[in-house]
Amino acid sequence: MLKSISPGGYNITSSTFNPSVFVDEKVREIREFVGSSKAAIATSGGVDSTTCAVLAHRALGGKLICFFMDTGFMREGEVQEVSDMLRSLGLPLRVLTVKDRFMEALKGKRDAEEKRIAFRETFYKVLSEEARREGCDVLIQGTIAPDWIETSGGIKTQHNVLEQLGFDTVKRYGFRLLEPLLELYKDQVREVARYLGVRFEASERQPFPGPGLLVRCIGEVREDKLKVLRAATSVVERTLGVLRPTPNQYFAAVVEDERMAASPAVERAVQGILPAGKVEYFTCRTTGVKGDNRAYGKIAVVCGSEVELDRLFALPERIIHEDGEVVRAVYELGEKGSGLGGEGGGGDLNGKRYSVLVRAVETRDFMTAKPYRVPMEVLGRLRDDLLKIGGVSSVCYDITSKPPATVEYE
Amino acid sequence: MRIPVVFLGGQYNHLIVRALKEIGVESWMITPKVRLEELDVDGLVMGGGPHSVNDGLERFGNLPQIIEKGSFPMLGICLSHQLIGLLLGGRVVKGRKPEYGRTVIKVLEADEIFQGVESEFVAWASHNDEVRLDGGKFRVLARSEYCDVEALRHETKQIYGVQFHVEVAETPKGKDILKNFVNMCK
Repeated sequence: MLKSISPGGYNITSSTFNPSVFVDEKVREIREFVGSSKAAIATSGGVDSTTCAVLAHRALGGKLICFFMDTGFMREGEVQEVSDMLRSLGLPLRVLTVKDRFMEALKGKRDAEEKRIAFRETFYKVLSEEARREGCDVLIQGTIAPDWIETSGGIKTQHNVLEQLGFDTVKRYGFRLLEPLLELYKDQVREVARYLGVRFEASERQPFPGPGLLVRCIGEVREDKLKVLRAATSVVERTLGVLRPTPNQYFAAVVEDERMAASPAVERAVQGILPAGKVEYFTCRTTGVKGDNRAYGKIAVVCGSEVELDRLFALPERIIHEDGEVVRAVYELGEKGSGLGGEGGGGDLNGKRYSVLVRAVETRDFMTAKPYRVPMEVLGRLRDDLLKIGGVSSVCYDITSKPPATVEYE
Repeated sequence: MRIPVVFLGGQYNHLIVRALKEIGVESWMITPKVRLEELDVDGLVMGGGPHSVNDGLERFGNLPQIIEKGSFPMLGICLSHQLIGLLLGGRVVKGRKPEYGRTVIKVLEADEIFQGVESEFVAWASHNDEVRLDGGKFRVLARSEYCDVEALRHETKQIYGVQFHVEVAETPKGKDILKNFVNMCK
């Protein structure tokens, strides 16, 4: 157990993080671990796995093969972009197109943990098949501190956390596992990336979870829902990516726009801040973290006339004090002037109507986060553009910190 | 300067080690099973965790004896703050209005732990349980709107508890408070 508590011991007495010492040590460690074998690494194009791949490549050269899986949960144009980027870093790349296997494994699953576990099992099944075919018996991955902390704390099952759960990876998947970034936080990984010369776009790009759009497609995954999410993601990234300072993470999520009433007590609590405020709940659930325990609870939707952001950000606490099952609150961006829900959006898609949730946070290390202050005028533009997407009936702005919510939705 | 952190399963435990290292202290994670005589340290910080002290103290290993008999300064955060409150004779109860996220700490009594920190500051907390004084043998140093005991101190010894998280980035004064604690360990 102690091993999972403090996985390494490097740099323990140094007061600041030194990327050059770190890289030298890890290069040695990787060479020693891999020995005469060959190693595989799966990268998503995200900061952690890309940095880890470049680090491993520096250590192993031609003894490393880098896999990139097109799981079907990538953003618009991302498969091409990421493979180009990884190739430009000189990584020996193989792209695996395996969308159907993931869709099949996820069919009918609504629960966040079931979805994450199905994703993980498919991911390692595909990976170990391919790694074996290439003659690799070591898998290197870019797990970082928040991944294993959240998984061992039971907050959520990160798809890349295995040993900390007590899995024998040799028995279960047929490879030995090495995780060189295990002790680092996001900001330290970025320092390593810069030190390794990983080009700016990759090392500064916003984090994208391994399971990709899957965990932003709240509840059951379906093709039409993913299509809405992909379009919404492009709009949100385009609109919020130009803000300065840039939010540390910003993205769209999608959920069936099906709601139920909140109790009068909750509504009264909200009206203390938003005089004509109304509250409903989405019928789905989402992941949160309360007092070091995982929470899987309701999303409250608050409608009301525009007010300043500080007052909106005070709402989640008020709501949770009245209803402990709530983990997150979002503010519905209604039509200008009406103050209430933006009806008459982009119309119907296969009989389903979706709500797009806009999440933007400010955070150092993703262990805690606060909602990013998106100007009302920008939120208004986002609402107008997102409502143009077919199937979108409402647009909401997430006003919840972590805790009690997590940065991602599932 | 050696100040290890006792791991109690909380998500931020690792951040305490990180913050102490950034202050320039030698820090590492240890389990609550550690025995007092094994602790060759200048101070001890104990982290948070997902349990409740009211579900029994087995999970806290030797911490009760260490808190009672240790001769170095100690700081308990979140769950460990509750453990200290309980061991010093207070009560730990389910918070009527639990805090998850931003809160405002109001300092009630000047103490070296809050040296150089304003009497009201923003902090982040995440807890279901909270400490009540109820005749306990400790001083209440700070409170918030929803929680009566945000910080406590042993009547005579340098044993402190804070309900909020000094180790997270969203508590801007957290590092100063940790530094004050580190200074006591010198």
